[in-house]
Amino acid sequence: MLRFFLIRLGQSIPTLLAIYTITFFMVRSAPGGPFSQERKVAPHIIEAQMEYYGFNDPVYVQYFRSLEQHLTFDFPPLTSYPGLTAGDIIGESFPVSLELGIWALLVALLFGIPTGVLAATKQNTAADYAPMSMAMLGICLPTFVIGPLLALFFGVWLGWFKVSGWFDLSDRILPALTLGLFYAAYVARLTRVGMLEVLGMDYVRTARAKGLPERIVVLKHALRGGVMPVVSFLGPALAGLVSGSFVVETIFQVPGLGRHFVQAALSRDHSLVLSTVLFYAALIILANVAVDAAQILLNPKLRKR
Amino acid sequence: MNTNENKAVSPWSEAWHRLKDNRLAMFSLGYFVLIVLLCYLLPLLYPISPTDQSLSFGANPPLSKGIELRYDAEQEEFDEFITEKEFVELYSENGESDLERLVADQQTELSGMYFSRSDRIHLLGTDSHGRDLFARILQGGRVSLGVGFLATLVSLTIGVVYGSVSGYIGGRIDACMMRVVDVLYAIPFLIFVILLMVVFEASKHQLLLIFIAIGAVEWLTMARIVRGQVIHLKSQEFVDAARAIGVRPFTIIFRHLAPNTLGPVIVYATLLIPAVMLLESTLSFLGLGIQPPNASWGTLIKEGADKMTVYPWLLIIPSLFFSLTLFAMNFLGDGLRDALDVKSSKD
Repeated sequence: MLRFFLIRLGQSIPTLLAIYTITFFMVRSAPGGPFSQERKVAPHIIEAQMEYYGFNDPVYVQYFRSLEQHLTFDFPPLTSYPGLTAGDIIGESFPVSLELGIWALLVALLFGIPTGVLAATKQNTAADYAPMSMAMLGICLPTFVIGPLLALFFGVWLGWFKVSGWFDLSDRILPALTLGLFYAAYVARLTRVGMLEVLGMDYVRTARAKGLPERIVVLKHALRGGVMPVVSFLGPALAGLVSGSFVVETIFQVPGLGRHFVQAALSRDHSLVLSTVLFYAALIILANVAVDAAQILLNPKLRKR
Repeated sequence: MNTNENKAVSPWSEAWHRLKDNRLAMFSLGYFVLIVLLCYLLPLLYPISPTDQSLSFGANPPLSKGIELRYDAEQEEFDEFITEKEFVELYSENGESDLERLVADQQTELSGMYFSRSDRIHLLGTDSHGRDLFARILQGGRVSLGVGFLATLVSLTIGVVYGSVSGYIGGRIDACMMRVVDVLYAIPFLIFVILLMVVFEASKHQLLLIFIAIGAVEWLTMARIVRGQVIHLKSQEFVDAARAIGVRPFTIIFRHLAPNTLGPVIVYATLLIPAVMLLESTLSFLGLGIQPPNASWGTLIKEGADKMTVYPWLLIIPSLFFSLTLFAMNFLGDGLRDALDVKSSKD
């Protein structure tokens, strides 16, 4: 198990290095630096700023300096937030995004798994068709349509929640629903397929033959195998949650990392864009390793390999 | 099946028959054709331009009519374009009864000003600049669908070339090329597109850039599909035969192998169009995509979301158009997959 972990982590190093290199040169080749504004600034001030941020050095010097800064977590000052570093921004806003992501994941699992299990046990009845058609809707509808519509309906017309902000617990509901509904739909479909497969297996028949109540058969014997597709989906889902957070945090004015990333892209803060992309890449790689580990723990068949 | 057993049926017409039996897919196909025709042809007939503004008219709900105000009864052009509410509140002397008279006679005169009801009906209402929403949706649809098609074409080209070359050559080069795909997969598409949009900041070629940026990230899955197909195909006799008579690898790849991957490629491309439209709209929604005065469904939904508390139709109507089109494309793609699936047609 430990060996598996170390190998996977070792494999991720060249990937991260490649991502860093691609991103660095992409960002570096962008026209219009952070100081090209509409307002005219005296050339010597721009010169001084360029010197301060180290933009005058040769590209390879900047490449290795920036690499070293990211490896030692000693980030340079940012151009769009004077006095702050990318580390400050990420440290402050990522917990918000993480919380949003956890709520969304909870929504996805709490809605998705029971719906999928129900649909699988009542296959080809109304209890199967109705939620599965709803799930199809949930998968096709984009986040930026669901979000404003939920805000309009529950926030403006019914007045149950605030339309934007991130202060108390009720502010979490709409963003979490918006982000989580797509995954709830997806999880429901995956659970249904997984459960249908498992429910036809011999060991489930054995459990039924032993005279166990159906509830125990489904929830204790079948569910464990039935949620396997969901577990392997969690890795890609995280990448999707990251992208989704850009939109959801913009809609609901959530002060998370996604909104900062979009803002950094809009204001051409190249070093913040670079640091954030690297952070996201590392996060997603780590999460994928964790998901693989979880799969091995849950599935005894994989453990032997 | 009612086709003549003796006549050879091409796989394509067989697939078409299967698709015709799928009512949801056919309905989606019909809807999709309708939307495309509406967006590209209707603007030629529709009397209102998407750029016509009237700030005094402002945002009005669907099916609203305006009132033209002329200071001189004879002149052709009107001086102001106002709403019925404005007429009652600002210009009328007897409140509602003036409006009733105006509606009955189509025109009226009040304190030297001439009012006439406009024969323009804003079918889906207007936005806060008084622009006709239906005209704007058609305009936005042209951009969204155009991006959908062209970016899909870009990613299709890259994916087919990359995948078939990688699959045909095989060995270490193949492993290397697929490793690149894996690395790119590790970055969420949206991050990558945003990066590309940051790098190529240019206002003039904005639209072109979006095609390239989206095409450049969405080819990955296409490349994998094509590579898998090519690896499966390249060990078959017709490729051996081609090689034996000395056909160059380039010709083998692009004349013999790539066309044979068409089925899965078409299915995936149909599903790619909505994915690309979604990506473009998401970008535009975030302010990184289409810039005003150009509009796409994404920017329209963004404008609607900003003003939904006062003008909800600006959010609901574009969302409806966009979602229905996405549904249709997804159902059509699923239907095509069932119809073209080689495995299911074997008995």
